[in-house]
Amino acid sequence: MKKRAITPAQWTLFGLSLIAVLILVAVLFRGAGGEKIKSAAVTSPSESPAEPAPEAKTIALFFLSEDDNLLHPEQRKILASPSIVEEAEQAVEELIRGSDKGYISPLPPETKVRQLFVTKEGVAYVDLSREIMESHPSGSSAELATVYSIVNTLAYNFKPIKKVFILVEGSEKETLSGHINLSQPFVPLYSLNAR
Amino acid sequence: MRALNKTTAKRLAHFCLFFFSLLSFAAAQPTIRVSSQDHDDYSRVIVTFPSSLPFTLEKDGNLLMVRISSASSFRLKAEPVKSRLIKSFSWVTSGDLYIIVIDVRHDRFRQDSFQIEKKHQLVIDLYELAELPVGEAAVVEAPEAAPEPEKKEEPPPSTEVAAPPVEGSSPEANGIRTIVIDPGHGGLEIGAKGKFGTLEKDITLAISLRLKALIEKSLAFHVELTRDRDMDVSLENRAAIANNHRAELFISIHANSSYRRNANGSETFFLSLNATDEEARRLAYLENNSAELDSPLATGNKDDIMMILWDMAQSAYLKQSQRLAEIIQDELNSLLGTRDRGIKQAPFKVLTGVACPAVLVEAAFLSNPEEERDLAQQSFQENVAQAVYRGLVRYIKLMS
Repeated sequence: MKKRAITPAQWTLFGLSLIAVLILVAVLFRGAGGEKIKSAAVTSPSESPAEPAPEAKTIALFFLSEDDNLLHPEQRKILASPSIVEEAEQAVEELIRGSDKGYISPLPPETKVRQLFVTKEGVAYVDLSREIMESHPSGSSAELATVYSIVNTLAYNFKPIKKVFILVEGSEKETLSGHINLSQPFVPLYSLNAR
Repeated sequence: MRALNKTTAKRLAHFCLFFFSLLSFAAAQPTIRVSSQDHDDYSRVIVTFPSSLPFTLEKDGNLLMVRISSASSFRLKAEPVKSRLIKSFSWVTSGDLYIIVIDVRHDRFRQDSFQIEKKHQLVIDLYELAELPVGEAAVVEAPEAAPEPEKKEEPPPSTEVAAPPVEGSSPEANGIRTIVIDPGHGGLEIGAKGKFGTLEKDITLAISLRLKALIEKSLAFHVELTRDRDMDVSLENRAAIANNHRAELFISIHANSSYRRNANGSETFFLSLNATDEEARRLAYLENNSAELDSPLATGNKDDIMMILWDMAQSAYLKQSQRLAEIIQDELNSLLGTRDRGIKQAPFKVLTGVACPAVLVEAAFLSNPEEERDLAQQSFQENVAQAVYRGLVRYIKLMS
Protein backbone atom coordinates (compact mmCIF):
# COMPACT_ATOMS: atom_id res chain seq x y z
CA MET A 1 0.00 0.00 0.00
CA LYS A 2 1.21 3.43 -0.91
CA LYS A 3 2.15 5.78 1.84
CA ARG A 4 0.57 9.18 1.62
CA ALA A 5 1.00 11.91 4.14
CA ILE A 6 -2.00 13.89 5.25
CA THR A 7 -1.67 17.31 3.70
CA PRO A 8 -1.67 20.41 5.90
CA ALA A 9 -4.94 21.41 4.28
CA GLN A 10 -6.50 18.19 5.41
CA TRP A 11 -5.21 18.74 8.93
CA THR A 12 -6.67 22.25 8.94
CA LEU A 13 -9.98 20.89 7.76
CA PHE A 14 -9.82 18.23 10.42
CA GLY A 15 -9.00 20.81 13.10
CA LEU A 16 -11.78 23.14 12.01
CA SER A 17 -14.28 20.33 11.94
CA LEU A 18 -13.22 19.21 15.38
CA ILE A 19 -13.81 22.73 16.72
CA ALA A 20 -17.18 22.79 15.00
CA VAL A 21 -18.17 19.52 16.59
CA LEU A 22 -17.08 20.76 20.00
CA ILE A 23 -19.14 23.92 19.60
CA LEU A 24 -22.12 21.91 18.40
CA VAL A 25 -21.86 19.52 21.33
CA ALA A 26 -21.61 22.46 23.73
CA VAL A 27 -24.64 24.15 22.17
CA LEU A 28 -26.65 20.93 22.22
CA PHE A 29 -25.87 20.23 25.84
CA ARG A 30 -26.65 23.76 26.93
CA GLY A 31 -29.96 23.58 25.12
CA ALA A 32 -30.83 20.23 26.63
CA GLY A 33 -31.30 21.43 30.18
CA GLY A 34 -34.78 19.95 30.36
CA GLU A 35 -36.49 18.97 33.54
CA LYS A 36 -37.42 15.51 32.39
CA ILE A 37 -36.26 13.00 34.84
CA LYS A 38 -34.43 10.97 32.21
CA SER A 39 -32.15 13.78 31.11
CA ALA A 40 -31.79 15.46 34.45
CA ALA A 41 -28.34 15.82 35.88
CA VAL A 42 -28.31 14.25 39.27
CA THR A 43 -26.26 15.36 42.19
CA SER A 44 -25.56 12.10 43.92
CA PRO A 45 -24.95 11.97 47.64
CA SER A 46 -21.29 12.77 48.03
CA GLU A 47 -19.19 9.97 49.34
CA SER A 48 -17.61 11.65 52.32
CA PRO A 49 -15.55 9.58 54.75
CA ALA A 50 -17.38 8.63 57.91
CA GLU A 51 -17.13 11.50 60.37
CA PRO A 52 -16.57 10.43 63.94
CA ALA A 53 -19.10 12.83 65.48
CA PRO A 54 -22.07 13.62 63.24
CA GLU A 55 -23.24 17.17 63.69
CA ALA A 56 -26.87 18.05 64.20
CA LYS A 57 -28.70 20.61 62.13
CA THR A 58 -32.01 22.23 63.00
CA ILE A 59 -34.62 22.56 60.27
CA ALA A 60 -38.27 23.64 60.21
CA LEU A 61 -40.93 21.08 59.26
CA PHE A 62 -44.27 22.41 58.09
CA PHE A 63 -47.31 20.66 59.57
CA LEU A 64 -51.04 21.30 59.50
CA SER A 65 -52.73 22.73 62.55
CA GLU A 66 -56.24 21.92 63.72
CA ASP A 67 -56.75 25.63 64.49
CA ASP A 68 -56.43 27.09 61.04
CA ASN A 69 -55.82 25.97 57.50
CA LEU A 70 -52.16 26.93 57.57
CA LEU A 71 -48.85 25.09 57.70
CA HIS A 72 -47.02 25.64 60.98
CA PRO A 73 -43.26 25.29 61.44
CA GLU A 74 -41.86 22.88 63.99
CA GLN A 75 -38.13 22.77 64.71
CA ARG A 76 -36.51 19.38 64.23
CA LYS A 77 -32.92 18.21 64.57
CA ILE A 78 -31.54 16.14 61.73
CA LEU A 79 -28.03 14.84 61.03
CA ALA A 80 -25.98 17.40 59.21
CA SER A 81 -24.55 16.12 55.96
CA PRO A 82 -22.38 17.64 53.28
CA SER A 83 -25.04 16.51 50.83
CA ILE A 84 -28.36 18.34 50.82
CA VAL A 85 -29.89 15.24 49.28
CA GLU A 86 -29.33 13.31 52.50
CA GLU A 87 -30.61 16.20 54.58
CA ALA A 88 -33.67 16.68 52.38
CA GLU A 89 -34.44 12.97 52.59
CA GLN A 90 -34.35 13.17 56.39
CA ALA A 91 -36.64 16.22 56.28
CA VAL A 92 -39.33 14.32 54.34
CA GLU A 93 -38.92 11.27 56.59
CA GLU A 94 -39.39 13.48 59.65
CA LEU A 95 -42.51 15.01 58.06
CA ILE A 96 -43.92 11.51 57.67
CA ARG A 97 -42.92 10.61 61.26
CA GLY A 98 -45.14 13.45 62.42
CA SER A 99 -45.26 16.29 64.89
CA ASP A 100 -44.10 16.31 68.52
CA LYS A 101 -46.30 19.31 69.25
CA GLY A 102 -49.71 18.02 68.28
CA TYR A 103 -49.71 19.29 64.73
CA ILE A 104 -51.01 17.06 61.95
CA SER A 105 -48.77 15.43 59.37
CA PRO A 106 -50.62 15.39 56.06
CA LEU A 107 -48.61 12.37 54.90
CA PRO A 108 -49.78 8.80 55.61
CA PRO A 109 -47.40 7.41 58.29
CA GLU A 110 -46.74 4.22 56.28
CA THR A 111 -45.23 6.25 53.45
CA LYS A 112 -41.53 5.67 52.68
CA VAL A 113 -39.13 7.93 50.88
CA ARG A 114 -37.88 5.69 48.09
CA GLN A 115 -35.43 8.15 46.64
CA LEU A 116 -34.70 11.82 46.51
CA PHE A 117 -32.45 13.71 44.18
CA VAL A 118 -31.88 17.28 43.17
CA THR A 119 -31.10 18.39 39.65
CA LYS A 120 -28.61 21.14 39.01
CA GLU A 121 -31.55 23.34 37.98
CA GLY A 122 -32.82 23.08 41.56
CA VAL A 123 -35.68 20.66 41.07
CA ALA A 124 -35.94 18.15 43.91
CA TYR A 125 -37.51 14.87 42.83
CA VAL A 126 -39.11 13.18 45.80
CA ASP A 127 -40.01 9.58 45.08
CA LEU A 128 -42.52 8.27 47.62
CA SER A 129 -43.90 4.79 48.16
CA ARG A 130 -47.41 3.81 47.04
CA GLU A 131 -48.91 4.51 50.47
CA ILE A 132 -48.88 8.24 49.73
CA MET A 133 -51.71 7.48 47.28
CA GLU A 134 -53.28 4.34 48.71
CA SER A 135 -53.66 5.65 52.26
CA HIS A 136 -54.52 9.17 51.23
CA PRO A 137 -57.92 10.37 52.44
CA SER A 138 -58.51 12.22 49.12
CA GLY A 139 -60.14 15.65 49.06
CA SER A 140 -58.77 18.89 47.65
CA SER A 141 -57.76 20.31 51.01
CA ALA A 142 -56.01 17.12 52.05
CA GLU A 143 -54.10 16.88 48.78
CA LEU A 144 -53.05 20.51 48.93
CA ALA A 145 -51.80 20.02 52.49
CA THR A 146 -49.80 16.91 51.52
CA VAL A 147 -48.18 18.54 48.54
CA TYR A 148 -47.32 21.85 50.15
CA SER A 149 -46.05 20.46 53.45
CA ILE A 150 -43.41 18.65 51.39
CA VAL A 151 -42.77 21.47 48.93
CA ASN A 152 -42.62 24.26 51.51
CA THR A 153 -40.47 22.23 53.92
CA LEU A 154 -37.90 21.41 51.25
CA ALA A 155 -37.76 24.84 49.64
CA TYR A 156 -37.69 26.65 53.00
CA ASN A 157 -34.78 24.68 54.45
CA PHE A 158 -32.66 24.01 51.41
CA LYS A 159 -31.69 27.01 49.34
CA PRO A 160 -30.66 25.05 46.23
CA ILE A 161 -34.14 23.53 46.01
CA LYS A 162 -36.38 25.84 44.01
CA LYS A 163 -39.08 23.40 42.94
CA VAL A 164 -40.29 19.99 43.95
CA PHE A 165 -41.51 17.21 41.72
CA ILE A 166 -43.41 14.45 43.50
CA LEU A 167 -43.07 10.93 42.11
CA VAL A 168 -44.81 7.82 43.35
CA GLU A 169 -43.16 4.39 43.06
CA GLY A 170 -40.62 5.84 40.70
CA SER A 171 -42.96 7.38 38.20
CA GLU A 172 -44.89 10.51 37.46
CA LYS A 173 -48.53 10.39 38.61
CA GLU A 174 -51.45 12.49 37.47
CA THR A 175 -52.72 13.26 40.98
CA LEU A 176 -52.55 11.76 44.47
CA SER A 177 -56.28 11.19 44.53
CA GLY A 178 -58.03 13.00 41.74
CA HIS A 179 -57.33 16.66 42.41
CA ILE A 180 -53.95 18.38 42.43
CA ASN A 181 -51.85 18.03 39.29
CA LEU A 182 -48.62 16.15 40.02
CA SER A 183 -47.34 16.17 36.46
CA GLN A 184 -45.36 19.32 37.00
CA PRO A 185 -42.92 20.61 39.60
CA PHE A 186 -44.29 22.76 42.41
CA VAL A 187 -42.86 26.05 43.53
CA PRO A 188 -43.33 26.72 47.26
CA LEU A 189 -46.50 28.52 48.28
CA TYR A 190 -45.48 30.41 51.38
CA SER A 191 -48.89 32.04 51.70
CA LEU A 192 -49.96 28.68 53.14
CA ASN A 193 -47.44 29.03 55.98
CA ALA A 194 -48.51 30.48 59.31
CA ARG A 195 -46.74 33.68 60.23
CA MET B 1 -1.11 0.74 9.57
CA ARG B 2 -0.33 4.24 8.55
CA ALA B 3 -2.84 4.00 5.75
CA LEU B 4 -5.46 2.83 8.13
CA ASN B 5 -4.79 5.81 10.37
CA LYS B 6 -5.05 8.10 7.45
CA THR B 7 -8.31 6.61 6.31
CA THR B 8 -9.69 6.95 9.79
CA ALA B 9 -8.58 10.56 9.95
CA LYS B 10 -10.14 11.25 6.59
CA ARG B 11 -13.39 9.63 7.60
CA LEU B 12 -13.35 11.59 10.79
CA ALA B 13 -12.74 14.76 8.83
CA HIS B 14 -15.69 14.04 6.58
CA PHE B 15 -17.83 13.21 9.55
CA CYS B 16 -16.81 16.50 11.15
CA LEU B 17 -17.50 18.35 7.95
CA PHE B 18 -20.99 16.97 8.03
CA PHE B 19 -21.43 18.29 11.55
CA PHE B 20 -19.90 21.58 10.50
CA SER B 21 -22.45 21.99 7.76
CA LEU B 22 -25.18 21.11 10.22
CA LEU B 23 -23.83 23.75 12.54
CA SER B 24 -23.79 26.43 9.88
CA PHE B 25 -27.41 25.56 9.10
CA ALA B 26 -28.29 25.91 12.74
CA ALA B 27 -26.47 29.22 12.97
CA ALA B 28 -28.31 30.66 9.97
CA GLN B 29 -31.67 29.69 11.59
CA PRO B 30 -33.98 29.88 8.62
CA THR B 31 -37.34 31.20 9.66
CA ILE B 32 -40.83 30.17 8.68
CA ARG B 33 -43.23 33.05 9.05
CA VAL B 34 -46.93 32.79 9.64
CA SER B 35 -49.39 35.64 9.44
CA SER B 36 -53.13 36.04 9.22
CA GLN B 37 -55.63 38.60 8.03
CA ASP B 38 -59.40 38.88 7.76
CA HIS B 39 -61.08 39.72 4.48
CA ASP B 40 -64.74 40.31 3.70
CA ASP B 41 -65.81 36.71 3.46
CA TYR B 42 -62.72 34.74 4.31
CA SER B 43 -59.67 34.70 6.56
CA ARG B 44 -56.26 34.38 4.98
CA VAL B 45 -53.24 32.67 6.48
CA ILE B 46 -49.88 33.12 4.79
CA VAL B 47 -47.02 30.75 5.53
CA THR B 48 -43.70 32.01 4.17
CA PHE B 49 -40.95 29.43 3.88
CA PRO B 50 -37.27 30.38 3.72
CA SER B 51 -36.90 28.29 0.56
CA SER B 52 -38.98 25.98 -1.51
CA LEU B 53 -39.95 23.18 0.86
CA PRO B 54 -42.21 20.19 0.37
CA PHE B 55 -45.24 20.28 2.63
CA THR B 56 -48.70 18.87 3.06
CA LEU B 57 -51.80 20.60 4.32
CA GLU B 58 -54.28 18.67 6.40
CA LYS B 59 -57.49 19.53 8.21
CA ASP B 60 -58.42 17.73 11.38
CA GLY B 61 -61.46 19.04 13.19
CA ASN B 62 -60.75 22.64 14.04
CA LEU B 63 -57.02 22.25 13.37
CA LEU B 64 -55.20 22.92 10.14
CA MET B 65 -51.77 21.37 9.99
CA VAL B 66 -48.96 22.18 7.62
CA ARG B 67 -46.44 19.33 7.70
CA ILE B 68 -42.93 20.02 6.54
CA SER B 69 -40.32 17.33 6.26
CA SER B 70 -36.82 18.68 6.25
CA ALA B 71 -33.45 17.83 7.71
CA SER B 72 -32.54 21.42 8.46
CA SER B 73 -33.80 23.27 11.47
CA PHE B 74 -36.19 26.17 11.50
CA ARG B 75 -37.59 28.81 13.71
CA LEU B 76 -41.21 29.81 13.57
CA LYS B 77 -42.10 33.43 13.69
CA ALA B 78 -45.82 33.90 14.12
CA GLU B 79 -47.25 37.35 13.71
CA PRO B 80 -49.96 38.32 16.20
CA VAL B 81 -53.23 36.70 15.12
CA LYS B 82 -55.27 39.19 13.13
CA SER B 83 -58.19 36.98 12.32
CA ARG B 84 -61.27 36.43 14.45
CA LEU B 85 -61.57 32.92 13.03
CA ILE B 86 -58.15 31.86 14.25
CA LYS B 87 -57.30 31.15 17.85
CA SER B 88 -53.57 30.66 17.67
CA PHE B 89 -50.55 29.41 15.75
CA SER B 90 -48.21 26.90 17.26
CA TRP B 91 -45.82 24.30 16.06
CA VAL B 92 -44.50 20.96 17.03
CA THR B 93 -41.52 19.05 15.81
CA SER B 94 -40.22 15.54 15.92
CA GLY B 95 -37.02 14.61 14.15
CA ASP B 96 -37.25 15.82 10.57
CA LEU B 97 -40.93 16.57 10.82
CA TYR B 98 -42.22 20.05 11.50
CA ILE B 99 -45.91 20.73 11.92
CA ILE B 100 -47.40 24.18 12.01
CA VAL B 101 -50.71 24.00 13.81
CA ILE B 102 -53.33 26.59 12.98
CA ASP B 103 -55.93 26.44 15.72
CA VAL B 104 -59.23 27.61 14.24
CA ARG B 105 -62.04 28.58 16.59
CA HIS B 106 -64.32 25.85 15.29
CA ASP B 107 -64.34 23.17 12.62
CA ARG B 108 -67.05 24.63 10.42
CA PHE B 109 -64.84 26.01 7.70
CA ARG B 110 -63.54 25.07 4.30
CA GLN B 111 -60.03 25.88 3.17
CA ASP B 112 -58.69 26.87 -0.21
CA SER B 113 -54.96 26.96 -0.64
CA PHE B 114 -52.50 27.98 -3.30
CA GLN B 115 -48.80 28.68 -3.57
CA ILE B 116 -46.85 31.70 -4.65
CA GLU B 117 -43.72 29.98 -5.91
CA LYS B 118 -41.57 33.08 -6.20
CA LYS B 119 -42.05 34.08 -2.64
CA HIS B 120 -42.08 30.50 -1.27
CA GLN B 121 -45.48 31.25 0.15
CA LEU B 122 -48.40 29.04 0.99
CA VAL B 123 -51.67 30.93 1.10
CA ILE B 124 -54.61 29.34 2.91
CA ASP B 125 -58.03 30.96 2.72
CA LEU B 126 -60.56 29.89 5.31
CA TYR B 127 -64.26 30.19 4.51
CA GLU B 128 -66.57 29.86 7.47
CA LEU B 129 -69.47 27.47 6.83
CA ALA B 130 -73.05 27.82 7.94
CA GLU B 131 -74.46 25.83 10.80
CA LEU B 132 -75.70 22.31 10.27
CA PRO B 133 -79.47 21.91 10.26
CA VAL B 134 -81.37 21.76 13.51
CA GLY B 135 -80.87 18.58 15.49
CA GLU B 136 -81.79 17.64 18.98
CA ALA B 137 -78.79 17.31 21.22
CA ALA B 138 -78.40 13.59 21.52
CA VAL B 139 -78.14 11.80 24.80
CA VAL B 140 -74.63 10.49 24.70
CA GLU B 141 -74.31 6.97 26.02
CA ALA B 142 -70.67 7.15 26.90
CA PRO B 143 -69.67 10.69 27.82
CA GLU B 144 -66.05 10.14 26.81
CA ALA B 145 -67.11 9.17 23.29
CA ALA B 146 -66.24 11.23 20.24
CA PRO B 147 -67.60 14.75 19.80
CA GLU B 148 -71.26 14.77 19.17
CA PRO B 149 -72.08 15.66 15.59
CA GLU B 150 -75.50 17.16 16.26
CA LYS B 151 -75.78 20.89 16.47
CA LYS B 152 -78.67 22.92 17.70
CA GLU B 153 -79.22 26.07 15.72
CA GLU B 154 -79.85 29.34 17.41
CA PRO B 155 -80.13 32.74 15.77
CA PRO B 156 -77.10 34.85 16.57
CA PRO B 157 -78.24 37.13 19.38
CA SER B 158 -76.11 40.00 18.11
CA THR B 159 -77.97 40.42 14.85
CA GLU B 160 -81.58 40.47 13.65
CA VAL B 161 -80.69 39.21 10.21
CA ALA B 162 -81.49 35.58 9.48
CA ALA B 163 -78.37 33.48 9.73
CA PRO B 164 -76.47 34.00 6.49
CA PRO B 165 -74.67 31.07 4.90
CA VAL B 166 -71.32 32.51 5.88
CA GLU B 167 -71.14 34.29 9.17
CA GLY B 168 -68.04 35.38 10.96
CA SER B 169 -69.18 35.89 14.50
CA SER B 170 -67.99 33.93 17.50
CA PRO B 171 -68.82 30.23 17.83
CA GLU B 172 -70.89 31.05 20.91
CA ALA B 173 -73.15 33.27 18.87
CA ASN B 174 -73.53 30.69 16.14
CA GLY B 175 -73.56 27.31 17.68
CA ILE B 176 -75.21 25.39 20.42
CA ARG B 177 -74.64 26.81 23.83
CA THR B 178 -73.35 24.17 26.16
CA ILE B 179 -72.42 24.06 29.81
CA VAL B 180 -70.45 21.05 30.92
CA ILE B 181 -70.99 19.86 34.48
CA ASP B 182 -68.42 17.52 35.88
CA PRO B 183 -69.50 15.31 38.80
CA GLY B 184 -66.16 14.67 40.52
CA HIS B 185 -64.72 11.13 40.71
CA GLY B 186 -66.80 8.02 39.90
CA GLY B 187 -66.40 4.29 39.46
CA LEU B 188 -63.40 2.86 41.27
CA GLU B 189 -62.27 6.37 42.02
CA ILE B 190 -64.55 7.07 44.96
CA GLY B 191 -62.98 10.35 46.04
CA ALA B 192 -63.29 11.27 49.69
CA LYS B 193 -65.24 9.13 52.13
CA GLY B 194 -67.13 10.38 55.19
CA LYS B 195 -67.13 8.81 58.63
CA PHE B 196 -70.67 7.49 58.03
CA GLY B 197 -69.71 6.04 54.68
CA THR B 198 -70.93 8.82 52.40
CA LEU B 199 -68.91 8.75 49.18
CA GLU B 200 -67.82 11.88 47.37
CA LYS B 201 -68.60 10.35 43.96
CA ASP B 202 -72.27 9.83 44.92
CA ILE B 203 -72.74 13.34 46.32
CA THR B 204 -71.12 15.00 43.30
CA LEU B 205 -73.37 13.08 40.91
CA ALA B 206 -76.53 13.88 42.89
CA ILE B 207 -75.74 17.61 42.96
CA SER B 208 -74.74 17.63 39.28
CA LEU B 209 -77.98 15.96 38.15
CA ARG B 210 -79.98 18.55 40.07
CA LEU B 211 -77.91 21.36 38.60
CA LYS B 212 -78.43 20.01 35.08
CA ALA B 213 -82.20 19.93 35.64
CA LEU B 214 -82.23 23.51 36.93
CA ILE B 215 -80.24 24.85 34.00
CA GLU B 216 -82.17 23.05 31.31
CA LYS B 217 -85.48 24.10 32.83
CA SER B 218 -84.80 27.83 32.67
CA LEU B 219 -81.71 28.61 30.61
CA ALA B 220 -81.25 28.29 26.86
CA PHE B 221 -78.30 26.00 27.40
CA HIS B 222 -77.68 22.38 26.73
CA VAL B 223 -76.01 20.63 29.65
CA GLU B 224 -73.50 17.91 29.05
CA LEU B 225 -72.42 15.81 32.02
CA THR B 226 -68.96 14.24 32.04
CA ARG B 227 -70.72 11.23 33.58
CA ASP B 228 -74.41 10.61 34.31
CA ARG B 229 -73.92 7.50 36.43
CA ASP B 230 -71.35 5.79 38.58
CA MET B 231 -68.49 5.24 36.18
CA ASP B 232 -64.80 5.98 35.75
CA VAL B 233 -63.91 8.95 33.61
CA SER B 234 -60.29 10.08 33.40
CA LEU B 235 -59.46 13.68 34.26
CA GLU B 236 -58.23 14.30 30.73
CA ASN B 237 -61.44 13.00 29.24
CA ARG B 238 -63.47 15.33 31.43
CA ALA B 239 -61.70 18.30 29.90
CA ALA B 240 -61.96 16.67 26.48
CA ILE B 241 -65.73 16.38 26.83
CA ALA B 242 -65.94 20.10 27.55
CA ASN B 243 -63.74 20.97 24.59
CA ASN B 244 -65.40 18.57 22.18
CA HIS B 245 -68.76 20.08 23.00
CA ARG B 246 -67.32 23.58 22.78
CA ALA B 247 -68.61 24.23 26.25
CA GLU B 248 -68.97 27.85 27.24
CA LEU B 249 -68.67 27.06 30.92
CA PHE B 250 -67.25 24.15 32.88
CA ILE B 251 -68.29 23.43 36.47
CA SER B 252 -66.68 20.63 38.40
CA ILE B 253 -68.61 19.58 41.50
CA HIS B 254 -66.74 18.13 44.47
CA ALA B 255 -67.03 17.50 48.18
CA ASN B 256 -63.98 18.31 50.22
CA SER B 257 -61.94 16.40 52.76
CA SER B 258 -59.18 17.48 55.08
CA TYR B 259 -56.74 15.98 57.56
CA ARG B 260 -58.21 18.49 60.00
CA ARG B 261 -61.29 17.13 61.71
CA ASN B 262 -62.82 20.59 62.14
CA ALA B 263 -62.31 21.78 58.61
CA ASN B 264 -65.65 23.06 57.29
CA GLY B 265 -67.22 25.37 54.77
CA SER B 266 -67.59 25.88 51.04
CA GLU B 267 -65.05 27.15 48.58
CA THR B 268 -64.71 27.65 44.86
CA PHE B 269 -61.44 27.06 43.06
CA PHE B 270 -60.06 28.18 39.76
CA LEU B 271 -56.81 27.05 38.22
CA SER B 272 -53.43 28.26 39.38
CA LEU B 273 -50.63 27.71 36.98
CA ASN B 274 -48.23 26.82 39.74
CA ALA B 275 -45.85 29.41 38.31
CA THR B 276 -43.48 26.87 36.85
CA ASP B 277 -41.21 27.80 34.01
CA GLU B 278 -43.16 25.59 31.71
CA GLU B 279 -46.42 27.27 32.59
CA ALA B 280 -44.85 30.68 32.36
CA ARG B 281 -43.63 29.82 28.92
CA ARG B 282 -47.04 28.60 27.86
CA LEU B 283 -48.67 31.68 29.22
CA ALA B 284 -46.22 33.99 27.55
CA TYR B 285 -46.76 32.13 24.34
CA LEU B 286 -50.51 32.43 24.57
CA GLU B 287 -50.47 36.07 25.44
CA ASN B 288 -47.95 37.01 22.85
CA ASN B 289 -48.53 35.35 19.55
CA SER B 290 -45.57 37.09 18.01
CA ALA B 291 -43.24 35.32 20.39
CA GLU B 292 -40.54 33.42 18.61
CA LEU B 293 -40.56 29.84 19.66
CA ASP B 294 -36.87 29.15 19.77
CA SER B 295 -37.37 25.92 21.63
CA PRO B 296 -40.34 24.33 19.94
CA LEU B 297 -42.38 21.93 22.02
CA ALA B 298 -40.99 18.55 21.17
CA THR B 299 -43.56 15.94 20.41
CA GLY B 300 -44.36 13.06 18.13
CA ASN B 301 -47.86 12.60 16.85
CA LYS B 302 -51.24 14.23 16.53
CA ASP B 303 -52.46 13.08 19.92
CA ASP B 304 -49.55 14.90 21.43
CA ILE B 305 -50.45 18.03 19.52
CA MET B 306 -53.93 17.85 20.92
CA MET B 307 -52.49 17.29 24.36
CA ILE B 308 -50.30 20.36 24.13
CA LEU B 309 -53.11 22.56 22.90
CA TRP B 310 -55.38 21.30 25.63
CA ASP B 311 -52.72 21.51 28.28
CA MET B 312 -52.51 25.19 27.60
CA ALA B 313 -56.20 25.73 27.25
CA GLN B 314 -57.27 27.02 30.66
CA SER B 315 -54.50 29.59 30.99
CA ALA B 316 -56.31 31.78 28.47
CA TYR B 317 -59.48 31.88 30.60
CA LEU B 318 -58.16 32.54 34.09
CA LYS B 319 -59.69 35.99 34.45
CA GLN B 320 -63.17 34.81 33.48
CA SER B 321 -62.75 31.72 35.63
CA GLN B 322 -61.91 33.90 38.61
CA ARG B 323 -64.99 36.05 38.03
CA LEU B 324 -67.16 32.96 37.72
CA ALA B 325 -65.67 31.57 40.94
CA GLU B 326 -66.37 34.81 42.79
CA ILE B 327 -70.00 34.88 41.72
CA ILE B 328 -70.65 31.22 42.50
CA GLN B 329 -68.93 31.52 45.87
CA ASP B 330 -71.11 34.52 46.64
CA GLU B 331 -74.25 32.48 45.94
CA LEU B 332 -72.98 29.51 47.95
CA ASN B 333 -72.45 31.84 50.89
CA SER B 334 -75.95 33.24 50.77
CA LEU B 335 -77.74 29.92 50.21
CA LEU B 336 -75.90 27.28 52.17
CA GLY B 337 -75.19 28.75 55.57
CA THR B 338 -71.79 27.11 55.45
CA ARG B 339 -68.61 28.94 56.36
CA ASP B 340 -67.23 31.10 53.56
CA ARG B 341 -63.81 29.77 52.68
CA GLY B 342 -63.63 32.14 49.75
CA ILE B 343 -62.28 31.58 46.27
CA LYS B 344 -58.90 29.96 45.87
CA GLN B 345 -56.44 29.05 43.19
CA ALA B 346 -54.89 25.61 42.96
CA PRO B 347 -53.35 23.46 40.21
CA PHE B 348 -56.31 21.16 39.66
CA LYS B 349 -55.62 18.58 37.00
CA VAL B 350 -59.21 18.52 35.73
CA LEU B 351 -59.26 22.27 35.02
CA THR B 352 -55.94 22.48 33.17
CA GLY B 353 -57.13 21.49 29.75
CA VAL B 354 -60.55 23.11 29.72
CA ALA B 355 -60.88 25.71 26.96
CA CYS B 356 -63.53 27.92 28.59
CA PRO B 357 -64.12 29.57 31.97
CA ALA B 358 -63.89 26.72 34.48
CA VAL B 359 -64.28 26.39 38.22
CA LEU B 360 -64.31 23.62 40.79
CA VAL B 361 -66.85 23.86 43.59
CA GLU B 362 -66.12 22.22 46.95
CA ALA B 363 -69.61 22.18 48.44
CA ALA B 364 -68.68 21.18 52.00
CA PHE B 365 -66.45 18.78 53.93
CA LEU B 366 -67.14 15.05 53.99
CA SER B 367 -64.39 14.75 56.60
CA ASN B 368 -66.52 16.83 58.95
CA PRO B 369 -69.31 14.63 60.41
CA GLU B 370 -71.83 17.49 60.57
CA GLU B 371 -71.21 18.52 57.02
CA GLU B 372 -71.24 14.90 55.91
CA ARG B 373 -74.81 14.71 57.20
CA ASP B 374 -75.64 17.93 55.34
CA LEU B 375 -74.12 16.68 52.10
CA ALA B 376 -76.11 13.45 52.26
CA GLN B 377 -79.39 15.39 52.51
CA GLN B 378 -81.38 16.06 49.37
CA SER B 379 -82.36 19.54 50.56
CA PHE B 380 -78.71 20.50 50.98
CA GLN B 381 -77.80 19.02 47.59
CA GLU B 382 -80.65 21.02 46.03
CA ASN B 383 -79.33 24.18 47.71
CA VAL B 384 -75.84 23.64 46.35
CA ALA B 385 -77.30 23.13 42.88
CA GLN B 386 -79.48 26.24 43.31
CA ALA B 387 -76.50 28.34 44.40
CA VAL B 388 -74.35 27.27 41.48
CA TYR B 389 -77.29 27.77 39.12
CA ARG B 390 -77.87 31.32 40.39
CA GLY B 391 -74.18 32.00 40.03
CA LEU B 392 -74.28 30.81 36.43
CA VAL B 393 -77.30 32.99 35.64
CA ARG B 394 -75.54 36.03 37.08
CA TYR B 395 -72.32 35.27 35.24
CA ILE B 396 -74.04 34.73 31.89
CA LYS B 397 -75.94 37.99 32.28
CA LEU B 398 -72.74 39.79 33.18
CA MET B 399 -70.96 38.49 30.11
CA SER B 400 -73.73 38.98 27.56
